[in-house]
Order: sequence, then C-alpha cells, then structure tokens
Amino acid sequence: MKKLMTALLGASLLSTPVAAQSAWTGGDDQPTSPLACSGESPAPEPGEYNGGAPENAPDRKGKDITVVDIPKLVGVGYFASTASGMQEAAKELGNITINTDGPTRANIDEQITFVDNYITSGVDGILFAANDPVAIAPVLKKALAAGINVVGYDADAQADARQWFVNQALPNGVAKSMMDQLASEIGEEGSFAIVTSTFTTPNQARWISEMQAYTEKCHPKLKFLETVEAQEDNILSFNQAQTLINKYGDELKGILGMTSVATPAAAEAVQQNGLCGKVSVVGLALPNAMKPYINGDCIKSTILWNTVDLGYAAAEVMRQVVDGTLKPGDTTVKAGRLGELQIVNQSQVLLGAPKVFTKDDINDFDF
Amino acid sequence: MSRRSFHAVSSLGQEILLVVVILALFAFVGAVNPRFVSENNLTSIFVGNAYIAVAAIGMSLVIVSGNIDVSIGALIGVLAVISGLLVTSGYPIWVAWLAPLLIGSAINALVGCLIAFARVPSIIATLAMLSILSGGLITFTGGRWISGLPAGYQLAQFRLLGVPSPVWFMVGMTIVAALLMRYTAFGRSVYAVGSNPEAARASGISPSSVVVRVFAIHGAIAGVAAVLFATQLQVIQSTTPVGLELVIITASVVGGVSILGGVGTVVGSTLAAILFAAIGSSLIFLNVSAYWLRAVQGVLILATVLADMARRRRTG
Repeated sequence: MKKLMTALLGASLLSTPVAAQSAWTGGDDQPTSPLACSGESPAPEPGEYNGGAPENAPDRKGKDITVVDIPKLVGVGYFASTASGMQEAAKELGNITINTDGPTRANIDEQITFVDNYITSGVDGILFAANDPVAIAPVLKKALAAGINVVGYDADAQADARQWFVNQALPNGVAKSMMDQLASEIGEEGSFAIVTSTFTTPNQARWISEMQAYTEKCHPKLKFLETVEAQEDNILSFNQAQTLINKYGDELKGILGMTSVATPAAAEAVQQNGLCGKVSVVGLALPNAMKPYINGDCIKSTILWNTVDLGYAAAEVMRQVVDGTLKPGDTTVKAGRLGELQIVNQSQVLLGAPKVFTKDDINDFDF
Repeated sequence: MSRRSFHAVSSLGQEILLVVVILALFAFVGAVNPRFVSENNLTSIFVGNAYIAVAAIGMSLVIVSGNIDVSIGALIGVLAVISGLLVTSGYPIWVAWLAPLLIGSAINALVGCLIAFARVPSIIATLAMLSILSGGLITFTGGRWISGLPAGYQLAQFRLLGVPSPVWFMVGMTIVAALLMRYTAFGRSVYAVGSNPEAARASGISPSSVVVRVFAIHGAIAGVAAVLFATQLQVIQSTTPVGLELVIITASVVGGVSILGGVGTVVGSTLAAILFAAIGSSLIFLNVSAYWLRAVQGVLILATVLADMARRRRTG
C-alpha cells in the first residue's frame, strides 16, 4: 500500500515541470509567420503553380456553363450555406448554373461515385469539398482529362488533381483572429488557458504555435497559463475547462477553445459556474453550437470562416478559371463583392481573415 | 463458507486501500494547491465522472459472473443518442429518461442469451456488439450532434439538498447493488456462477439464467449512465468517448473485481472510478501531462492483478 502511494506520488512529483515553460504546450516546432498586428500584412509570394489543367477543354470563355457542386455531404447546415453562397454568385454572374448534389453522409466512396457519374453525364465544371484528399484524386484527374474544369473548396485534394483550391483560413490568420478577440475581451494583461484536442493533433498544434508567435509580437502582456488536452470529447472538454476554472480561480480570465468540441464545452462550464462575463471563451466553433451561449449573453463571440462567402468565392473562382482571367502565376483574383483575394500556397485562393460571429449576426447562419 | 468469508475480507481490504489512496491523494494535492479540495473542485470530480462509476457497477456484476463486456462505451453512446432524439422529437422527458434503461436492458439481455445459450464467449459476443453499435451510430447520425434539448431535460444538472443528482445516483445505486450482491439469493448466485459454474449448477442454480439476468441488469444500469452522460451539457455528442469501455473495466478491476470471476464488490469499483477522476483532476493541478493518467491507470491495473494473484497463491 505504501509502495503504491509512493509510486503514485513520486510519478507526479518527478514529472512536474521545474522551469517556467518557454513554449506554449501543445504547439509544434515548425517555423511561424505571424501577421502584422494591425492593417494588411504584405502578401507572401505564392510560389510556382502546382495545380492541374483540363485537357482539350473547349473554349467556354464568357459562355453559359453548367457546374456541379459535390460537397462532402448534403443535408447539413454547413454545406447548405456554402451552396447558398454559390447561388448568390451564380445570380450575380448570370452565365453559370450550379447544382449542388452529393452523398448524404461524408463517405469518400459515395462521393467518388457522384463525381464519376457527373463526368459521364457531362458538365463544364466540378466544385468539390473532398472527404479524402488522396482517394478522390484519381476521379478528379479523370474529370480534368475529360476537359472539365475542377476547383476545390473547404477540403482540398492533391494539388495536381484540381486546378485551384479556395482555402478558408491559414494558420496565422486563425491565430490573429483568436488572439485579437481574446485581448479585446480580457484586456491586454489578462491570463488565459487553452483547451485543445491533443498536443500532437496537426491543425491545433500549428494554430497554437502561430498564436504564441503572434501574441509575443502583438499582445506581449497576455499571460499564458497552460494547455490541457480534451481529445474531441464533449464531457472531457467540459471537465477540463471546469478544472481550469477551479484551479486558477479569479486569475483565469479567458479560455481558448481549439476545437469545435472544446469551445462550446468551455462555454457550458463558464455558464454552469455562473462566471458569464467574468471568464471569456474565445474559440473555433460552429455558430449553431454557440448560439445558446451567445444569445444568452454569456459568451461574446465564436470564430470561424464565413461559409456563405466560401461558397461565393468558389463559384467566382470557377467562372474566372473558365474565362481564363485566373491563370497560373497570378497573385490575386477578383471575387465579386469580396474584392481581391490573395493567391497562396502555389495554387490556392485565400478567402481572407476568419469571421468573428457575434450576437448581431450569428442568427443569420445555420450550421 | 470459509472461501466466501475470505473473499469478503480480501475485497474489503481492497476497498480500504482505495479509500486510503484517495484520501492521501486529496491531502497531497490539496497541500500543493488548496483549491484542489475546494467544494467546487470536489463537485467537478464527482459529477463529471459519476456516469463512469455508475456504469462500472453493472460491469462489476458482469465480471463477477465470469464474463466481460467490451461494448459498454458504444452502448452508452447509442442510448444517449436515443434519449436525445426522443426528447427532441417531442416525447415527454420521462420517456426520454426511461427508454435508455429499457432498451439497454433488452439489448444486453440478448447479448446474455448469446453467451448463456449459444455458448458464444462473452468477449466475442460483446466485441461483435461493439462493432454493431458504434458502426450503426455513425451511420445513423452521420456524426451530427443533438442540440435544442428542452429545459428540464438535464437530469444531471439537478440538485437535491445541494448535492448534484449524479452523486445521488452514484452513491444510491452503489449501495443498492452492494446490498443486492451481498444479501440476496440472486447476489450469491452471481458469485457462485462466477467462481464455479459446475458447482453452482450442482447446488440448484441455473448459470444460464443468472448470466442473462446479470446482463439485463447491466444494460439497465448502462441506461442510467447514458442518461447522466446525455444530460450533463446542452448538446449530445453522437460519438462515444474513445476508450470509455476500458476506463469502466479498469475501474472494476482496480476496485478488486477479479477478472477470473467470482470475486469483488461494487463498492470497490465506485471507489476506483472516483480515484481515476481525482487523479485526472490532480494532474492538471500538479501541471502534469494528461498522458500520465493512462500510465497511472495501467500501473494500478498491474498492481491490483498482481496482488490478486498473490492472494490466490497464498490460499492455493
């Protein structure tokens, strides 16, 4: 019995970090590229175009074209809102017809069948959000070989299997939105903790590193307390947020949620503790999951990209690819009401900064 | 007779050991950071993990009867989604609370029949059930969460005499199950079947009937755990926590339930579940990576099983 206790406590003591942490826990060791604190950041060089090209495509410049949109799945709010953005663009442009059609569940095999069927039935363009970047590549290459224009959005395929990809957010953009929003809510000298999925999840680790770099540059007095893991587990996220609140008491002013699971769970913990307005929750989450807390004035915001704009931009990019006004080597593209969008990562169009949803507009979105 | 009293004593030893370890942990971490033993944090520790302790009660019965159930995590996930779908489609709240108990009981009674009458080993039967339930859940829900739960549905957020309801369920069900196991003919027959089915049959007990009943009770208890799980937050996640079944089985084993059957009590498994919850929380208070929780649980399993084997060898 004594031995067991000693072993247990010994293990705890041994692994307690002695020195103060220099790097935020949960980040990766990759180089970072923090954006400017305010105003526009200079656009990075996009690099050499690495997308594919349709073979023997007929000249469709300025002509009416028929495009099919094949999202990961249909029947969910997220892709219903990207589809509505596409219809908005189609209406403005007047010479593009877009039908959204796809599997009813996020299944790559079914999605491949859909793409294949539309290649056979004949369309001018395919917009897609891939369920799997590698598995979808062969059928998209088949479409390119059949002279069909192919543009991705939301979830990319291998670069040479499509022409362009509309990227909804880059890590340094996510980092800037998160930290600016946090600082605006808890003040420049507030203390905060992070709830992430696991320390090694690639996206979250990337964002945390970028957040640290941006904070050191633009919000140097914000005080990082610690990062806790909560997998993608609702109840565990809630328990971890609860434990952070218990551990730090009044010192804790903000919780950053790194996943769409952690953010609403942290909001729930704040609400159940009666700490609305005292502890801020800033994070990535679907608007629907955050509506109860934002409409109830407990939490101020949730951060994500504007899915309507994402669909709108995808349709605009498709039109310009077909017309030849967006071509390899370009550094920007004009996308209707969104203005000029940057070209990044060789063959991607960047939607822009993530959107901060607040009580004023969150109810306009249903996903 | 001497054998049974020995078991009672040995598992009582395990329970006392667990109480001592829990108190030592609270004293130690409380000394490092007094907020660890604040009322808020104690409530968090108990409430957030009560559903695990509740599920471990049924699991202990199953293991004592000489079987195992690896599908429990998926079953809790499925029952939680059923409860949420019922209440969001307009059924009365009490239906949404009660249905998981009945459906869980029916599903596991079926599993019990497969084990008792078709002679399918319990690990195989429940492994198959794990695939059916978790696969079915993903296909059916497409990973979508259930939200828009009506007010009054959140059973796990209720309080009675200032104590959160999950704590009442955990303590109440542990006591009832402990009394049932110790003082009723059924309870004794579960031990008898788990330690020696042939001897049990010779003394007039039907092992098949006992196993089916144990699984049916286990399913109903899983239903309670599922309702506590589903009503803790404003949304129900339509996936099951990764490795939940292992946490529940570990709680039973560390609580002193012998994986070979015939030995152990539900009090031990509840104490072990509380210990895991306290360790999980203390790791944050001590700034230790959560990865250690799994490692510590593994060490506890090994220590418990080795101690159990040593005891068996001594009594030979």
